Amino acid sequence: MSVLKFTREQFENFVSAMVKSGQSVMAPQAKNGRFAFGPLQSAADLRLDYDVTILPPKKYVLPQTQTLLEFEVGGAFRSVDSSQPMILLGVHPYDVAAISQMDELFSQDQYDKHYMDRRCKMTIVALDVVTPSENVFASSMGTATVRKGYDLLLTVLKDGSVLAEAATEKGQQLLKLAGSSTPASEADLSARKAIWESNEKNLDKHVLKCKPSYLPKLLDHSYEHAVWEEMARLCYSCGSCNQVCPTCYCFDVQDFVNWDLKTGRRQRCWDGCLLENFATVAGNHNFRKDRAARYRHRLYRKGKYVPGKIGGQIACVGCGRCITACTAKIANPVEVYNRLMEDTELG
Amino acid sequence: MSKPRVAIFDFACCEGCQLQIVNLEEEILDLINLVDVVEWREAMSEQSHDYDIAIIEGSITRPEDEKRVLLIRSRAKILIALGACAATGGVNKLKNNFDMKEVRQCVYGKDADLPHLDTYPTKAVDEIVEVDYKIHGCPIENSEFARVIRALLLGKRPMVPDYPVCVECKAKENVCRWEYGETCLGPIIRAGCGARCPTAGFRCFGCRGYVDNPNVEAAREVMAKYNLTEEDLKTRMVLFGSKQGPTL
Repeated sequence: MSVLKFTREQFENFVSAMVKSGQSVMAPQAKNGRFAFGPLQSAADLRLDYDVTILPPKKYVLPQTQTLLEFEVGGAFRSVDSSQPMILLGVHPYDVAAISQMDELFSQDQYDKHYMDRRCKMTIVALDVVTPSENVFASSMGTATVRKGYDLLLTVLKDGSVLAEAATEKGQQLLKLAGSSTPASEADLSARKAIWESNEKNLDKHVLKCKPSYLPKLLDHSYEHAVWEEMARLCYSCGSCNQVCPTCYCFDVQDFVNWDLKTGRRQRCWDGCLLENFATVAGNHNFRKDRAARYRHRLYRKGKYVPGKIGGQIACVGCGRCITACTAKIANPVEVYNRLMEDTELG
Repeated sequence: MSKPRVAIFDFACCEGCQLQIVNLEEEILDLINLVDVVEWREAMSEQSHDYDIAIIEGSITRPEDEKRVLLIRSRAKILIALGACAATGGVNKLKNNFDMKEVRQCVYGKDADLPHLDTYPTKAVDEIVEVDYKIHGCPIENSEFARVIRALLLGKRPMVPDYPVCVECKAKENVCRWEYGETCLGPIIRAGCGARCPTAGFRCFGCRGYVDNPNVEAAREVMAKYNLTEEDLKTRMVLFGSKQGPTL
């Protein structure tokens, strides 16, 4: 599909048109010295230069808390649909990759209507990274750029102009909101290619010493490694690494009853495998009681278990959020995987 | 079926947690539709010795209070400790860091030795009698109180969080207080408050007490990564965490 070029002013007009379109527009904006996705009120608040958001945009497909259904105690229930048309604007490639993985996971086996309804009404506008964050390692994970999983891809050129290429019908529809633009020139396309090549190399604040596709095999031989105990010794089990992770999708389901004691709602909320009671089941049995076992589980989940469900894609996209969020500074997946690489002889 | 009879008592506290119940406002009407409140000094004059659920606010700080708690326990089918003072000892445990004589002297001066001013090291309610449920916080979240009561009325076990404040703080997408160089207690303190303080721009003071299994050893070691000392950590924990659980 053709690539369009917007001057900064033309682009702002395009964003203003999105804001006025009636769909909610969620986009990266400044928040207390960091960045967060939030409802965009004005094109001027959009920060195309953001490095990384505190939470990934997964909060829009899988909200922190979401009502699934309303019920009568012991009686009928009614599914609650909270989905609405939404433009997710300015999603970095690693987060696009993460949403694509979740799409596969939530549509396979038991089709998750509550996730998929939200997802299907969403238009994803990807944005090539302008400013690398302090802990990004997307270059190592093959997620520094993306070629699928979005409806429209934006790339900011050095002079501030913005290239836009639609990848889907939804993306084409969105472009119809844009006012004036010009077709991108050969030179513009070369400049975009140079940005892609640069990002594929330079989103590398940490460097994985193997190809990501090697991780499942590495983990086959690492279950009893000493690193799990060593790292988990400092683990608070606070679940911050889970919460900020764009591919962590575990949730807990709870019922809340109203004052009439006859009606209520069922909600799901984010859970995390590092939390002490994540694996506590009926009868108060906790099958993953040890911090080290929980610590190991997260890295097995990213490097082996989830890949086994989605055709080998590694469920760590290198956003680096867990590294920043961990108060104890023990959450860096690259550090652990590299350590395993050094110590593990594979047959 | 007759309504469950509820009595609310207070010991050493500011009564702010009972006030939080009053602050349910129109929901109070929903509450008294479901239960008979038979004693509640802060809100009514009647008294009763016949109740199913006893709710205690406050810590136990005098020998004679201990007898009263035993009596309440013997009369109640379900006993709930309401708020930090009752559930963990809370702020009242600050005094346990000092000699009791010194404490009395400091507060009462020349009257320190009068018998009715007798005091002993603060205890949480469960250090004297079995407590069935704890509603944490200084003050409590009245939405949590309401949820616990509704669960009990349905015969269900209420869910009280046993994960750290970080969970709720991250969900609100706050910038971590540690990134501002503050010694926030969030990683070891029980959630349920919706990370009120960090969301309002303060570190977590730890009013809800520790999670069941806090990694205090890690906390000591992590201090060094931030060029802080164990002493820095202790000064933050002393307000709500004196002489309890991991800081005994």
